Amino acid sequence: MQGRFHDGRTTRVQTVEVELVQEVLTFRTEDGYERWPLAGVRAEPIDDRVRIAPPEPLLARLTLDRAEWLAATQHAWGHQRAERRRHLGLVAGLAAAAAIAAGAVFVGIPAASGPLAQATPPELERKIGDNLDGQLSLAFPACGGKPGQAALADFGRRLGTVSHTPLEVRVRAVHAPMVNAWAMPGGSIMVTDRLIRLAATPDELSAVIAHEAAHVQKRHVMQAVWRSFGFGVLLDAVVGGGTGAGQQAVLLMGSATSLRFNRQAEAQADSTGQDLLVDLGLSSQGMAPFFRRLAAKSEGHDAAAVKELLSDHPDVLRRAQTTAARARPGAAAFTPAEWTAIRAACSDGYDPLKRLRKMF
Amino acid sequence: MSEEAEAAVVSGEPIVLSQRGQLNAFFRLSLRNGLLNLVTLTLYRFWGKTAVRRLLWSTTYLNEEPFEYTGRGIELFVGFLLALAVLVLPFLIAVFGAQFLGPAASLLVLLPLYAGLLFLLGFGRFTAFRYLATRTTWRGVRFHMRGTARSFALSWIGYMLLSIITLGWFWPAADRRLAGRLWNSLSFGDHDFKFRIDVARNEPVYGAFVLSGFLGTVAYLVYGGIVFLLLGPEMREAAGTGASTVPSLHEIILFYISFAVLVVLFAAARAPFHSAMLRSVVAGIGFRNVRFRLKLDWIDMAVLTVTNMLILAVSFGFMMPLAEARARKLVLSRLKILGEYDLGQVSQAQGLHPRTGEGLADAFGIITV
Repeated sequence: MQGRFHDGRTTRVQTVEVELVQEVLTFRTEDGYERWPLAGVRAEPIDDRVRIAPPEPLLARLTLDRAEWLAATQHAWGHQRAERRRHLGLVAGLAAAAAIAAGAVFVGIPAASGPLAQATPPELERKIGDNLDGQLSLAFPACGGKPGQAALADFGRRLGTVSHTPLEVRVRAVHAPMVNAWAMPGGSIMVTDRLIRLAATPDELSAVIAHEAAHVQKRHVMQAVWRSFGFGVLLDAVVGGGTGAGQQAVLLMGSATSLRFNRQAEAQADSTGQDLLVDLGLSSQGMAPFFRRLAAKSEGHDAAAVKELLSDHPDVLRRAQTTAARARPGAAAFTPAEWTAIRAACSDGYDPLKRLRKMF
Repeated sequence: MSEEAEAAVVSGEPIVLSQRGQLNAFFRLSLRNGLLNLVTLTLYRFWGKTAVRRLLWSTTYLNEEPFEYTGRGIELFVGFLLALAVLVLPFLIAVFGAQFLGPAASLLVLLPLYAGLLFLLGFGRFTAFRYLATRTTWRGVRFHMRGTARSFALSWIGYMLLSIITLGWFWPAADRRLAGRLWNSLSFGDHDFKFRIDVARNEPVYGAFVLSGFLGTVAYLVYGGIVFLLLGPEMREAAGTGASTVPSLHEIILFYISFAVLVVLFAAARAPFHSAMLRSVVAGIGFRNVRFRLKLDWIDMAVLTVTNMLILAVSFGFMMPLAEARARKLVLSRLKILGEYDLGQVSQAQGLHPRTGEGLADAFGIITV
């Protein structure tokens, strides 16, 4: 076979006559004879040619006619099969590593996050909460009505006495453009002005706050912090900075797992929150009507299952049914005077635009 | 002496760069890589990327000889693991640990970390370019890079700060200078590339930069208008009644569709600047007597960008290698090479190889071919 040879030292081309002698490619160059055992070479097909590379790190290259190469080496497929086996072994090894990573994402990290959250010293959790509180307070300032805030804070303290948590349950009303309430690491709970307006009775508001206090008791927020850290590290290790469908599939898997655990935590907080109210001798009947009102205010219930899958909360109507079944009668959490003060807590003339102008 | 006249002082043969690959081959490789990426939760990507580069390089011809990519998947994998162990994990742990500190103390930890991140982005860009260069050969002779990643990263930070101070107006000049530094550090064997910024400046970029900014703003306004028309009435009603702001399913779908349209419009809007910058950088590159010109207008670039995005969207990102091959084919088909060169006279340089792959670039999501 005639071939073109590059010696790996210069770009000069040499024309050489190549023979396959006892499974060794043999040819004479200007510097002497080259002998490349067939088992050690790599052949790269390029159009009607094939580029032969000797074992690394040599950069010498031999280019041959592809048809001639195939005809000459058709009896020596052993080394090509070995190459294919190596590749299959690589894919199998990577798939096994991927299966271990998937197990960690689906099972290991979520299972470890609970004990890790319980083992986190409360003062450390409070520090995380204080950082977050400071940042959120810039966006969602506390309402100015002091009697209402005092009533909410007192209710938080009462919930703290029955929730057996090392964290102090601190409740406050904030201005925010949404109907929401949330617990933060360390025991802080924020309830928005719009949620207070939406709640029709003291039972409804106390149920929402008790739900958040249950998150504090179960240390769900700290669990989520550990879970998200674990996912972050693992997903970075698996997908890195890559893009494309594979990466998105893995990230989606991580998100789906996270959402699933969040939904479980929400359901647990519903029932535990109701238990806390019962322990205080208060009515736990407010949760279901509040969920129904929330559902009525949002879109129709079509495709609720799909929406639920994409959400970190269970379907609101299902939550209403479940909590209605568990509800127990009891006293109201707030006196009429406290309820009036809470309703008025955020009517303090707050104007977000005025505040922005003042800040800048 | 003009550039053309300078290039006409010749000795050797005319230079032609071409992309001869069949897109079918890239389509098949895209499918194979995509499936193996799914099976291995993307761990195969280092080997997949290597296979794509092998195909891209071996179908890119300098005269009648194809280039060769000599990198290996395991190198990229080890580079990534090193970057992960030495940089990414400590960074994540530090960011996580900072949450346990007070606000002032956490700022003291985080600010230097983010400044370091900026440095590493520049560092990663240089090392990724160097890795590609040292794994590219033609007729068995290797490309290599002079200079250090550290000095490139310091320039990168300086140019970034200048761009921030000038509200982005310095960015086109910075981008060109950074590209110039990379090309100026490149050698093929014992022959150096030279980047001439004065020649690069003959290809204007600021007009295109303004045009891209204008088109991007228009795209954003159109998007904002559409979202406002579609969702505005419901949002106003929700704001008035204090209703839940949890979006409905059709709102979520509309939002994603309009966002996808915005992404495509933004990409198309960037085409004038992108093509002008490519023309400018290519004009600045010189290799002995040989100079380069790119005749690529922004309409071609916009069409390529939009069609590639559609290919990626329809294939859920599987067809990335095909998109890369289309981009390379277009650019090389519009490349004009002035001057001649004796291609048989280049010798291997004694350059050092980087020991690992582009781990840093990969870890920070810097996209390389």
